[in-house]
Amino acid sequence: MAPVVGIVANPVSARDIRRVVANATSLQIADRANILLRVLAALHACGVRDVLMMPENGGIRAHVDRGMMRARSRGEDIYPALHPVSMPITGTVADTHRATAEMRRAGVSALVVLGGDGTHRAVAAECGTVPIAGISTGTNNAFPEHREPTITGLATGLAVTGRVPPHIAFAANKRIDVSLDRGANGGAVTEMALVDVALVTERYIGARALWRTENFRELYVTFADPEVIGMSAIAGLLEPVGREESGGLMVRLSPDSNCRRSTTLHAPIAPGMMAQVGVTDWRRMPADVAFVPEVTAGSIALDGERELSFTERDRLSLTLRDDAFRTVNVAAVMRHAGQNRLLTGTPVPVTAAF
Amino acid sequence: MAQNPFPLGKDELLKAYRTMRTIREFEERLHVDFAKGDIPGFVHLYAGEEACATGIMMHLNDNDRIASTHRGHGHCIAKGVDVHAMMAEIYGRSTGACRGKGGSMHIADLSKGMMGANGILGAGAPLICGAALAAKVRGDRGVGITFVGDGASNQGTFLESLNLAAVWNLPVVFVVENNGYAESTAMEWAVSCDSYVDRATGFGMPGVTVDGTDFFAVYEAAGEIIRRARDGGGPALLECNMVRFYGHFEGDAQTYRAKGELEAIRASRDCLTILSERLIEAGVIGRDELQAVDREVNALIEDAVRAAKAAPLPAAEDLLSDVYVTY
Repeated sequence: MAPVVGIVANPVSARDIRRVVANATSLQIADRANILLRVLAALHACGVRDVLMMPENGGIRAHVDRGMMRARSRGEDIYPALHPVSMPITGTVADTHRATAEMRRAGVSALVVLGGDGTHRAVAAECGTVPIAGISTGTNNAFPEHREPTITGLATGLAVTGRVPPHIAFAANKRIDVSLDRGANGGAVTEMALVDVALVTERYIGARALWRTENFRELYVTFADPEVIGMSAIAGLLEPVGREESGGLMVRLSPDSNCRRSTTLHAPIAPGMMAQVGVTDWRRMPADVAFVPEVTAGSIALDGERELSFTERDRLSLTLRDDAFRTVNVAAVMRHAGQNRLLTGTPVPVTAAF
Repeated sequence: MAQNPFPLGKDELLKAYRTMRTIREFEERLHVDFAKGDIPGFVHLYAGEEACATGIMMHLNDNDRIASTHRGHGHCIAKGVDVHAMMAEIYGRSTGACRGKGGSMHIADLSKGMMGANGILGAGAPLICGAALAAKVRGDRGVGITFVGDGASNQGTFLESLNLAAVWNLPVVFVVENNGYAESTAMEWAVSCDSYVDRATGFGMPGVTVDGTDFFAVYEAAGEIIRRARDGGGPALLECNMVRFYGHFEGDAQTYRAKGELEAIRASRDCLTILSERLIEAGVIGRDELQAVDREVNALIEDAVRAAKAAPLPAAEDLLSDVYVTY
């Protein structure tokens, strides 16, 4: 049976206050549709003929349909058939959860995701063993790697059609599980983060984004990457931890960067925004070990956005998990494709002429 | 009393709640009185959208100007226009904010920086550019806020104003109150570029989208945007996704809504309920304190209606007064 690929494209990512307090980009709806058309063309070139897509009212699908219609008008057969998942649209993250679950049940071989870290987190919560191919259209985008979407589509197509062995095509990823026990009357809340969990002193959700460094207290990351923006950069500029390594990093932050016990770090916490962060200390965060934070009240920011508030009455713990979900290893797939000449016209190995 | 986790002190939180409750009661009362035929003209109610006006106006002073819309009661109340004068104006009485000649869609109070509700869709945007230019020339750190609905954002005046504000780097905030319907037309049928932030981006200014039913989301985002404009950082657009509890106008049968839609948004997206539950849950303000505010507001609205009904209509000899300006 020909593989089917699912697509989750979030029309409302990259719209938060970091457009004002920093210089974050605003990727337009038409640009997101254009990205999807590039992905679809690459999938089709690999033999994928059917794609499921999360329905949305943000306009992406309408622009994609227009692009596909124009191609058909010119007699071009370059896109797979696009099928919307049948489900009500709420315009919230619940749509991503539901669409992902529906597509997983429908047996998609991979999920192409357009969004920021938050969108990818929502997909990872429901995708099970279905691998994710991430495309960054959000704000900080630490999780999805920056890459031309055509190549992401191509790698996904090569992976799901079996032309690249699974052990090369797919990579394991980490996550941090967050457990919040609100006691007898409040129940328990479980959440997760793909890149970072930040504990901040603001106890309201508000505009969600993190940019007031004086409120940062504790930070937990699955990978500490000095090449990305946001919380992971803070950790990455102290002690880099790779995506493939087991475990992550825990960093204690100080409200007073001039405190004798702390070090001042200059970190890119948002696009175009360098900020001073007071760092008290840091240490490795081994997998499967529950961490109980010192900070007792505030907000929990998951992948850069305040999501939950907690008080002294609540019990909070964080546990990093290795091998929590899979992604398409685009770099490995394309390297394999090149080394094995998967896209040449003949399967016979050839050498370059000198 | 628990530690206050919010970005506002208790007095300010009570002020925000009181403002939102006043708007709600004001509109609920008009809904009833209009159906009885007590009110001349048309009214467009702001019920359900209170967090937007309140979250923004908490950052403004009387020197800051706003240009409102046909759905302007909430903007007026949040900007500090006297509720008695507003009610009298809507009842068409000579004690009204505009001496009873403006009605619901033309309430203005320049002493509060309220340049007027406006029956012409999208007309507030160029007006606020003028006010913002004046503030910039005077150097008084004033800002201008204009409101449009998702429908009026398609008007040429609005788009031209985005351009003008960007070119002149005016201290303007364009607030798109997106309640999903342009009168009866759902947004996806009528807005070609799908995102208001995209429109702002196209004119070279930042745009931000927030949940307009969350007072704190509006308050925090608006605070940053207004501070930026006040400091000379230029214009920005704020889209508030929100819901309206009544029709486009009073008497609207709302046949364009899905079955159960109104009940669902009233149950899950009532900004007043969301705010009050957060305040109570945090232990900052008790339910009894909020109920005391409710009683005060009820008495205020009741008294405003009583006073409006008792006030005289404009006299025939006042027909041409306050209408034309002599330069």
